[in-house]
Amino acid sequence: MIKLVAGALVAAVTLALPAVLDDSALAVYILLGLAAMVTVGVSLLMGYAGQVSLGQGAFYAVGAYTAALLALNGVPPIAGLVAAPVVAAVFALVIGVPLLRLRGHHLAFATLAMQLILLSLAGQLEFTGGDIGLQGIPQFGVGSFEFGSAAAYAYMTWAGLALVMLVTHNVITSRPGRALRALATSETAAASSGIPVGPYKLVVFALSAAFAGLAGGIYCFYTGYVAPGSFPVLISIQYIVMAVVGGLGTIWGAVVGAGAITLLVQGLDQLASLPGMPSYAPSVLSYAVYALVLIVVVLFLPHGLVPAIAGRLSRQRNDPPVETR
Amino acid sequence: MSAFLTYLLNGLAVGCAIALIASGLVVIHRVTGVVNFAQGTFAVVAGLCMSSLLGLGLPHGASEVAAVLAATVAGLLTGLAAIGKPGVTPLSSLIVTLGVGVLAYAVEIVLWGDQPRSAPGLAGSVTVAGARIQTQYLLVIAVTALTFVALALFFGRTYLGKALTACASNPYAARVVGIDVRRMGLLAFALGGLLGGIAGVLVTPMRPISFDTDVTLIVNAFAAAVFGALTRPVVTLAGALVLGVAETMAAGYGYGSHQLEIALGLMIVVMIVQASRRTAISQEST
Amino acid sequence: MIDVRALVVSYGAATALEHVTLSVGKGEMVALLGPNGAGKSTLANTLAGLLKPASGTVEVGGRLALIPEGRQLFPDLSVEDNLMLGGWRSGERDPSFVYELLPRLAEIRRRRAGVLSGGEQQMVAFGRALMSRPSVLVVDELSLGLAPNVVTDLAEHLAALNRSQGLTVLLIEQNARLAFDLCGRAYVLESSRIVAEGDCAELAEDPKVAGAYLGGAIT
Repeated sequence: MIKLVAGALVAAVTLALPAVLDDSALAVYILLGLAAMVTVGVSLLMGYAGQVSLGQGAFYAVGAYTAALLALNGVPPIAGLVAAPVVAAVFALVIGVPLLRLRGHHLAFATLAMQLILLSLAGQLEFTGGDIGLQGIPQFGVGSFEFGSAAAYAYMTWAGLALVMLVTHNVITSRPGRALRALATSETAAASSGIPVGPYKLVVFALSAAFAGLAGGIYCFYTGYVAPGSFPVLISIQYIVMAVVGGLGTIWGAVVGAGAITLLVQGLDQLASLPGMPSYAPSVLSYAVYALVLIVVVLFLPHGLVPAIAGRLSRQRNDPPVETR
Repeated sequence: MSAFLTYLLNGLAVGCAIALIASGLVVIHRVTGVVNFAQGTFAVVAGLCMSSLLGLGLPHGASEVAAVLAATVAGLLTGLAAIGKPGVTPLSSLIVTLGVGVLAYAVEIVLWGDQPRSAPGLAGSVTVAGARIQTQYLLVIAVTALTFVALALFFGRTYLGKALTACASNPYAARVVGIDVRRMGLLAFALGGLLGGIAGVLVTPMRPISFDTDVTLIVNAFAAAVFGALTRPVVTLAGALVLGVAETMAAGYGYGSHQLEIALGLMIVVMIVQASRRTAISQEST
Repeated sequence: MIDVRALVVSYGAATALEHVTLSVGKGEMVALLGPNGAGKSTLANTLAGLLKPASGTVEVGGRLALIPEGRQLFPDLSVEDNLMLGGWRSGERDPSFVYELLPRLAEIRRRRAGVLSGGEQQMVAFGRALMSRPSVLVVDELSLGLAPNVVTDLAEHLAALNRSQGLTVLLIEQNARLAFDLCGRAYVLESSRIVAEGDCAELAEDPKVAGAYLGGAIT
């Protein structure tokens, strides 16, 4: 009952916010939603398949470029938006077959390498616009209705996030999903209990890529341009920070993690652009925040912020605190 | 032909720098099981330090030594963050070193700004068999050779070096004879900092370095270390030289824009081949 | 020399030792018998300081060396390097006294430890422990997987060191015959608890102990 009320409240606030926020606040709101969309996938991948991807930004880029290229070539935006996650997922399936033979730090570096290769190619190829990228992407629209306001993009973003969360929820609670959970802890144990480890990992990998691709598609319509510089390696690290902060393998954790980090970095940005601050202050502060949050959470809250707080609350409610090692 | 020789020697120099960073990666991985993502950062720290110290008027030699020491301290601090707390898994430690690398960005931008910096090295050039090569490149090759000989002597002949190998060989047995494995891990991180620092000091006069050069450096070094399965220093050296020569040749003969893709693609292929070989072996043994 | 009182050791939720009390006097040779999984190696590791007690006390007078179960050598290092690293605590860097005691090791000093036979490996493990100049030696499964003549040989060395230098020995064994031959007293550890203790001669008469550890023993 409490859960239902809380859920309704969250939904109401989410829906009401675009109407009251101004454009600069809406930009933050949209970027937060997009980051959350990618982070849900990262969290699923790390928490349920036990794999670290340092290249999630690549799928974001694939989605953005797919939607941008289609839209610039006269394909209706809605088709471009649908194609973004599909192409990202297909790309993940294709590269995932060889890449997912790797584990641990090997996979981490391979995915990082994949992103670097992709960015380098995008910066050199003619049809992706080289380093300048693609500009003048038309506004998103369906039929004769065209998105004119940031609020419209905010609704689209959060509808997309809701869809991503719903899909993830269904995956997690399905029978294969529960089996997947075993993958994160012990692949050998999962394999010996008859779980088809390989195909499951591939599906989760593709799903996380689809989420990132969808976010990339929305991003390209919202900003109107894409360039290799929009997808630095740091963006992939940022998703890991968000997933780790929120707690791996939890849907709400990913959203809260993305929200907390986005707002924190935005707040510091405001602080850093106050008069008298040096010009490098914004980047220095955001690097420092990503780094310190990541280190502190990995070392001291290995299960993430949300599960830690939830655990503390439920413990206080039920029984005296138990010494956990 | 002389162009070929120039590219070859330049490539070897580039490979040597990669090899130094990669050997740090190998030393740390062997002793602690952790892949240190901040390994490229050590080179950047040393390079930037050196450029500042030389700018302040400190003589050559002293500047380089101080810069390498700074990188060694950076290595030790990274180790403290990554393995200082008991019970952290190697993959979590990797993520911590990732955090350390990003944290270093913040510190480096505050201290040195975000523009690339260079530093003067050995001036002039010599002609080897009709090929002109800058003296700095020869210095890089010579110092790397010396460093690898010193490493081989350290691990093969000294008691401390053998204790480090012991931790890599059988950590439990190391604890049984009373070796503090965690402290040895910190020593390995400091050594990794030292090796990265030497690389940074050598590279900075060849190509300017900025705070975010570390990504290229670590990725190249990891690619080289992958050849030696992250445990074998000599194969790693060979891998780094192949990588350096291949990249320089590609650039020299007009495929420069694709050198990163070639190196990274090669790394992924090597890893996948190694992984499938491992699976094949484990399937045979079961 | 070794004084263990009400020792409890656990791995997470599983208890490996429950209120174990045991003592070994100076210059004594004492055996600890018990089946696989009883907690014998846990006790050995706790005595060596590698595991922390959950409660109870462990006191060791003097330097303790452990010959761990399965030898646990450094496979990539030479025999001599293995011995030298045994002197990490004591500062002993000269293995010649070990070579005098075990001449076979001098012959194979340059070989990699990983390629040796089981008996040779046990010899290296024995020599490595001696390099720390111990006053107490804990031997975990001396005889496991070794040929009888090798076991006899090592056992004689152990007994000789005990007689000549007063080396205190705790011998953890499944081979009760060997243990009773060498030691004066013995403890029996089953399912994390000490279930019997006493003189070896008396324990050998105890029908339960004899049935479990002497009757079925193959070697």
